[in-house]
Amino acid sequence: MSLRQKLLLLFSLTVAAAVAAVSWTVLLRVRQIFEQRDKDETALFVSQFQREFQHRSADVAAAIDRIAGQERVRNMAFELVQSGDTAPFLNEAQTLAQDARLDFLEIIEPDGNIVSSAQWPARFGYQEPAAKEEAAQPFLKREELPDGSSALGLFSVRAIHGSEPAVKLIGGVRMDRTFLADLPVAPGMQMGLYSEAHGEQADSTNSSGFDAKNFVGPEGAVPGGAKYAGLIDSARKRGQQTSGILYLTSRREESVAATAIPLKNSAGNVLAVLTVAISRNALVAEQQQIRTIAYGVAGGGILLAIIFSLWIAARVSRPVEELAHAAEAVASGQWDARVPVRGSDEVSVLAESFNHMTEQLETQRESLVQSERVAAWRELARRLAHELKNPLFPLQLTVENLARARQLPAAEFDEVFNESTHTLSMEIGNLKKIIGRFSDFSKMPKPELERIDARDAVLRVRGLYAAGTEDGPTVDVVTELESAPMPMMADPELLHRALSNLVLNAKDAMPDGGTVTIAARNRENKIEIRVSDTGQGMTPEECERLFTPYYTTKQHGTGLGLAIVQSVVADHAGTISVESGEGQGATFVIALPRADA
Amino acid sequence: MLRRLAISFAIVIAATGASARTRPHYGGTVHVEIAGDAWERPAGLARRLVYDGLTQMDASGALRPALALTWEQDNNFHRWQFRLRPGVRFQDGTAVTSVNIVSSLTASCSANCPWDAVKAVGPLVIFSNASPMPNLPALLASDQFLIALTATTEGRTPASAVGTGPYQVNGFSNGVLTLTANENCWSGRPFSDGIEIRVRRAVRDQWLDLGLARADVVEVPAEQLRQAQQQRLSVIQSPALVLLALQLSDTGVLGNVKVRSAIAAAIDRSALYNVIFQKQGEVTASLLPQKMSGYSFLFPTDRDVNKAHELRGGLAAGALTMSAEGEGAMQLAAQRIALNLHEAGFNVQMATPGAQHSDLVLRQFLVSGNDCGAAMERILWDAGLFAPVSEQAPEDLYKRERSILDNHRIVPLLDLPRGYAIGARMRDVHLRADGSPDLSAASLEDAR
Repeated sequence: MSLRQKLLLLFSLTVAAAVAAVSWTVLLRVRQIFEQRDKDETALFVSQFQREFQHRSADVAAAIDRIAGQERVRNMAFELVQSGDTAPFLNEAQTLAQDARLDFLEIIEPDGNIVSSAQWPARFGYQEPAAKEEAAQPFLKREELPDGSSALGLFSVRAIHGSEPAVKLIGGVRMDRTFLADLPVAPGMQMGLYSEAHGEQADSTNSSGFDAKNFVGPEGAVPGGAKYAGLIDSARKRGQQTSGILYLTSRREESVAATAIPLKNSAGNVLAVLTVAISRNALVAEQQQIRTIAYGVAGGGILLAIIFSLWIAARVSRPVEELAHAAEAVASGQWDARVPVRGSDEVSVLAESFNHMTEQLETQRESLVQSERVAAWRELARRLAHELKNPLFPLQLTVENLARARQLPAAEFDEVFNESTHTLSMEIGNLKKIIGRFSDFSKMPKPELERIDARDAVLRVRGLYAAGTEDGPTVDVVTELESAPMPMMADPELLHRALSNLVLNAKDAMPDGGTVTIAARNRENKIEIRVSDTGQGMTPEECERLFTPYYTTKQHGTGLGLAIVQSVVADHAGTISVESGEGQGATFVIALPRADA
Repeated sequence: MLRRLAISFAIVIAATGASARTRPHYGGTVHVEIAGDAWERPAGLARRLVYDGLTQMDASGALRPALALTWEQDNNFHRWQFRLRPGVRFQDGTAVTSVNIVSSLTASCSANCPWDAVKAVGPLVIFSNASPMPNLPALLASDQFLIALTATTEGRTPASAVGTGPYQVNGFSNGVLTLTANENCWSGRPFSDGIEIRVRRAVRDQWLDLGLARADVVEVPAEQLRQAQQQRLSVIQSPALVLLALQLSDTGVLGNVKVRSAIAAAIDRSALYNVIFQKQGEVTASLLPQKMSGYSFLFPTDRDVNKAHELRGGLAAGALTMSAEGEGAMQLAAQRIALNLHEAGFNVQMATPGAQHSDLVLRQFLVSGNDCGAAMERILWDAGLFAPVSEQAPEDLYKRERSILDNHRIVPLLDLPRGYAIGARMRDVHLRADGSPDLSAASLEDAR
């Protein structure tokens, strides 16, 4: 990843993180505000509803009170107490309930028996336990009906005024869809009533689970009624008002802030649960709008930040990139590479320094090359002088000896002559050999790579040197090869020459004879060729200087053999190293790239 | 002298006035209001005004000739022949023949009749049956066997109801059935020129109309007789001739006579009598009223819930359905009985109106006439449990009734009277043996 990309990424991430943090904070705060508003609204509506509910309760109590105060009813109570005959008043409750628009009304004798019942006229003579209610406040009760069903009602009990003993009236209104429909509701507000058909007997904590059939609203079944199950069950079990957000569908807009209000009888049992649900459609839409704006602003900000980051990154990174390119150029040998200098900031100073440094380097390099060239010529001259001086001295002695032998008799002269010519011929041969080696070193050809197997190269070398010489020491040449193929791209002649040099060196290192081992094996993506001898080995200092041209440990070596080997190995993108210790022999390790199979 | 003359004049005037009040006048229209339908059996008011039967019962319950002048049985009550009254015509002028009679009887009773065959032979209508029919003349006086014209001489079906009764149908509009006097009625022209019967009128509204002189005759159900009297209405009421009884099915769990017996024991008759029917009539557990049979008191009327539980024996009866014929007090009584049965461990639910079949049906049976056997046979016929009752002696009748009631297909509850309130201008309104007002003999005070 380039510096520019890193800078761009860094700037972008920084800005994006900042924008995201700000957006998240804003949205979180907005959500908190909306939720609080939602809660406040719900609480307000629920409070209004409860007040209305209380008004209805008061209406029921007032209606019963009015009936209890009627002259006709007082007369009825008087007659009832005096005569004890309830028959004439069998239908009285129906008439009174109809006039007062009550759903339920019963006239109760002082002994608690029903005289007349509007909702179930046939129940006369039966006991009405609710008549014992002394509560001044209206209460909830589940009333059984002639058809076997039961209905929830809001009831009130009053004694008929002036009756002694007290004849009571117990009446109320049915809490059903009609009751809900009559209650004032705000727009978006929906009410529901959950009541079980026989819930009064069962304690709320033991009652069965939620049944959507028992949950009705003013217009029948409550949409998504099953979603209220948890809330209603919670209110029933806890006996306390419970609120929550209900998602009626997968869409957030179709959610409601619902409150479940348990409705209890005087004994504290939950008979029904009233739900007040306020649509969150408008609220969610507002939230959505704010979120959309926030996302738009954040997105725009991030986009702008990226554009600015691009510009800034380009501005910051361009001089550095130019420096890097210039450094690469210098590294590749383009010593005249320069960078433009803009402004006076740190990067400009760096660029000036770079330019100055390259100028210095170029100057020093030129002087170094000249020095090295002179040193090389001197070394070459020294080596040549040294190499050539050795054969020249015998030549000079031989020629002087031959000149002196001119004075000798012919037979002796001939003998001297023959020895001298032989010596001359041999030393001249040495000279040719020295010159040939220098010539070979100077003429190292470019390798011509082809696909070969390392085993073939090793076996070829072994075939050449395994036979040995008749007059020299006995040296065994052995190979250790892996059976797996060892393909490589190499010039077979150059590789053969390099390996031959190493084998010859090994032989030279064992004047008393020994074993040369040529081993080859696959190692990861390399092919390792090891040439080992069993000679005296080398000191670490010798090992360090071993590949320096013209360095030799041999009495008559040119110091070029290992330099040629190193040159060949380097031309094949390989490496060569030596492992040795005194008296432990030496091993030359060549590692060459393995060709693909 | 003058004083004597004045006294004599006053006596003459008073006598003349008294004479004028007792002599009925012809003319005028009687306005009647009823809660039900004018034609429905068994108490449809128009039926007795438009139609006659072969026989009829007079106010005392004695059997009298009507369209049949005489009748006689043969072959030990297996065969009856009725000789028709000569010269009688239907209201459209068609002569009453034995063929018309047979056609009408066949139309009104096409299956499960009290006879196997009925045929016309000259002026005779002959009934025959495999089993004896000791009470056929009394049965023919009942509402179901009134004679109507089924086909004119041209063979067409009459456009309206045509009978031989004192009034003929003039029309029906806006809930008012208009009848006009049959000038050629075999029993003589009725006093009033016509009768307007307003149907399906609430009793409360009927009473209001009576108070406003918009009605001359209105209904007073048994349970409101006391109230009507308290309101000082002019009420005429029959003896307790309507048997209120619970009819039980014999299918399902009710096929078990013990279950039916448990139901009979669970019913609290006193609550029905004292409260719902306002102490009118009498509590009964027999088909025939005490006044008629003399042995009704032998049937216990007390409620025994423990016995009911014992008889039910823990049988899970499932939900039984119950219905009541009629409105108001009948529905209320049915609900009360359902409550009683609930206490005895039965689950009884009121059937929805219009339900075809109910396990328990609260019904009213008319008990008319002086003949106990005939009355019992008539009840069995109305209940769909027809069987001839040939017993005459009270002990035989008691045994027969005991055997019927021990089956608990019918549980007698109350004997109730029928009542009507009469307007101030009505004269000589009497009730027939079935408790319905005999308007053919009544007249209007202010008729001219």
